[in-house]
Amino acid sequence: MVSYTAGVAVDKRPAKAGRFSRLFFAGNGAGYMFLLPWLIGFLGLTLGPALASLYLSFTNYDLLQSPQFVGAANYVHMATADAKFAAAMKVTFIYVILSVPLKLAFALALAMAFNRGIKGLPVYRAIFYLPSLLGGSVAIAVLWRQLFAADGLVNSVLWLFGIDGPSWISNPNYSLYTLVVLSVWQFGSPMIIFLAGLRQIPQDMYEAASMDGASKARQFFRITLPLLTPVIFFNFVIQTIDAFKAFTPSFIISAGTGGPINSTLFYTLYLYQEAFGFFRMGYASALAWVLVLIIAVFTAFSFLSARYWVHYDD
Amino acid sequence: MKGYSVSRRALLKAGTGVAAASLLGLKSVSAQEKSIRVFWWGSQERADRTNRAVDAYKKANAGIDAKTEFAGWSDYWPRLATRVAGRNAPDLIQMDYRYMFEYARRGAIVPLDQYLGNALKIEDFGKANLESCSVDGKLFGINLGVNSSCAVYDMSAWEQAGVEPMTFGTNWDEFASKCAAFAKGNKRRRFYATMDASGHEPAFELWLVQNGKVLYTEDGKLGFDEKDAGNWFKYWADLRKAGGCVPADVQALDKSTLDTTMLTLGHAATVFPHSNQFVGLQQLNKAKLDITAFPVTKGGKPGQYLKPSQMWSIASDSKLPEVAAKLANFTVAEPEGTKILGVERGVPASSAVREQLAPDLDDVSKKVVDYIGKLGPYTAKLPPSPPKGAGEVFTVLERVSQEVGFGTSPEEGGKKFVTEAQTILKRG
Repeated sequence: MVSYTAGVAVDKRPAKAGRFSRLFFAGNGAGYMFLLPWLIGFLGLTLGPALASLYLSFTNYDLLQSPQFVGAANYVHMATADAKFAAAMKVTFIYVILSVPLKLAFALALAMAFNRGIKGLPVYRAIFYLPSLLGGSVAIAVLWRQLFAADGLVNSVLWLFGIDGPSWISNPNYSLYTLVVLSVWQFGSPMIIFLAGLRQIPQDMYEAASMDGASKARQFFRITLPLLTPVIFFNFVIQTIDAFKAFTPSFIISAGTGGPINSTLFYTLYLYQEAFGFFRMGYASALAWVLVLIIAVFTAFSFLSARYWVHYDD
Repeated sequence: MKGYSVSRRALLKAGTGVAAASLLGLKSVSAQEKSIRVFWWGSQERADRTNRAVDAYKKANAGIDAKTEFAGWSDYWPRLATRVAGRNAPDLIQMDYRYMFEYARRGAIVPLDQYLGNALKIEDFGKANLESCSVDGKLFGINLGVNSSCAVYDMSAWEQAGVEPMTFGTNWDEFASKCAAFAKGNKRRRFYATMDASGHEPAFELWLVQNGKVLYTEDGKLGFDEKDAGNWFKYWADLRKAGGCVPADVQALDKSTLDTTMLTLGHAATVFPHSNQFVGLQQLNKAKLDITAFPVTKGGKPGQYLKPSQMWSIASDSKLPEVAAKLANFTVAEPEGTKILGVERGVPASSAVREQLAPDLDDVSKKVVDYIGKLGPYTAKLPPSPPKGAGEVFTVLERVSQEVGFGTSPEEGGKKFVTEAQTILKRG
């Protein structure tokens, strides 16, 4: 009988033929019984629909009539004839590229401030974490609309200084950046993880460094950053995947249009429009699979690059 | 312990089984006896009225239960389509002229002719109001109210600006100079004479008809060219330049809901909603509002039309279509029901119902009824049903109008709009 944990932890040789099936199916009946509720959910609610959508991505399906097989036509249209697809890609990539590094930098800066041992840290930590709990919600997106509208709070404050601000959320030159700000504001969860990571760094390293005369900046770049890379890597991957999947802010703030002039047309919002606005379920499924592919490729590259810049203790 | 193990093949089978089930849409558990479901889109005001009407019907008809549910316009259609696909459609469905043809031709809703004269006593709706709810010669909808596009304005705002507001027969040029004069007299910050209606489909459509064109032809093609669209964008670009209408970044705050109209947000004194929305709009605005016709084209044709603002349709999945028909009849033809609904969904199609409602109407509702009564000379016949893809073309009109608002030339906008619209219609 091969135990699961022993198999994984000890054995690092390449698996022999038949080993796989023994590892997963022999003598683990009780385990599978415990797994069953999750397994049913996974097969019925995740894998089943996912496979169905893979099939649908090769069809035209408008919900009212049964799906018609069209081969790769949806993918071809996407690649060659869909200007809105290109616009959505551009918006999403700008959003990911801007929001993820900004958010991580912000989260790290605050985590370092908190790590100095401020009094009442748990309270501050909770307060600063709050936006992340609320951030994805409809209420906050509505609040954002009020803040950055023509007569919003932001412009009222600017008006005090004699500045007549534009309507930030409904001006295509600024609208996407208000969403980036909204995302950065939800720095709470990476901040907590950074904070935990900072606590792991042994204090004696800093003591030794300062005795050797290393400046604070040098300590940050030579000790903090390198030792924090596993945590940075984790946050980076999670936040990037989240950013690719962002939907609610744009859906609420632009009322589902992705406007003005497609300036906030997140990829997922475009997918939603095609599916539930124009009832092209087949095309929307194809869009979904392309997003899966993009995220998978991105994650694979992240993991491949990790060996060059992420330092693990051991 | 071999007895417990699950073979991969069995797992795979179970997986595909579940996948197939979700693909086909499992049949829902059948509803209780004599219980139907009613589904509509609209505001809270509409929901309150409809729920009261349904309650009144249940009270008068023991043994019949009706569960109600409503959603906003943009959520309504995806939900309805999903349920129809899942064979789980509500029995009584609020239907729109734009969607009726698709639902009827695909067999998602049933013809109602067999109920005429028994469950449905709506013969006095008149030929026009029955035909506007028919597809290929069969009745698929029960008219819930007649409406038209209209102009709604804040009376005191125009007065304060010192400009006589528009009225029946004001033409587009006069309207533009009124708006420019308004800009001179106006003192409120970020406040303008009118919304920017360049991306508003009903406005564009009636302007086309006034100029002898149509939005869509009978065979589902575009009924106008680049030049027409360019002229339309140019009219509004000029108005925008003169400070007569709201700037583009303010207009973009309008999310096509009553609570985000330029009027409700306090950015414009005039907007162009549907006439039945006047009731809801007045409720959201403190200022006293008035309703009048759209501007006309000098020497042009009438461009507005009367249409069913919404209708009741019955799902083909319904097990109790007759019960649904009777409930629908209660809301459009029986005094007890019609009194509760009032004119919130539009002016009732039956003249008997109109007469019955007249004495009890409040001032706001009366204005709507009077407006529809006066509109005769400004109306043309109902245009053909919009083709598949029309909904998407509308979003393109909105987007291109914004592009022109933010700097693209009107001519280029016209070209862009026509090219993209044709591509969409071709794709369907």
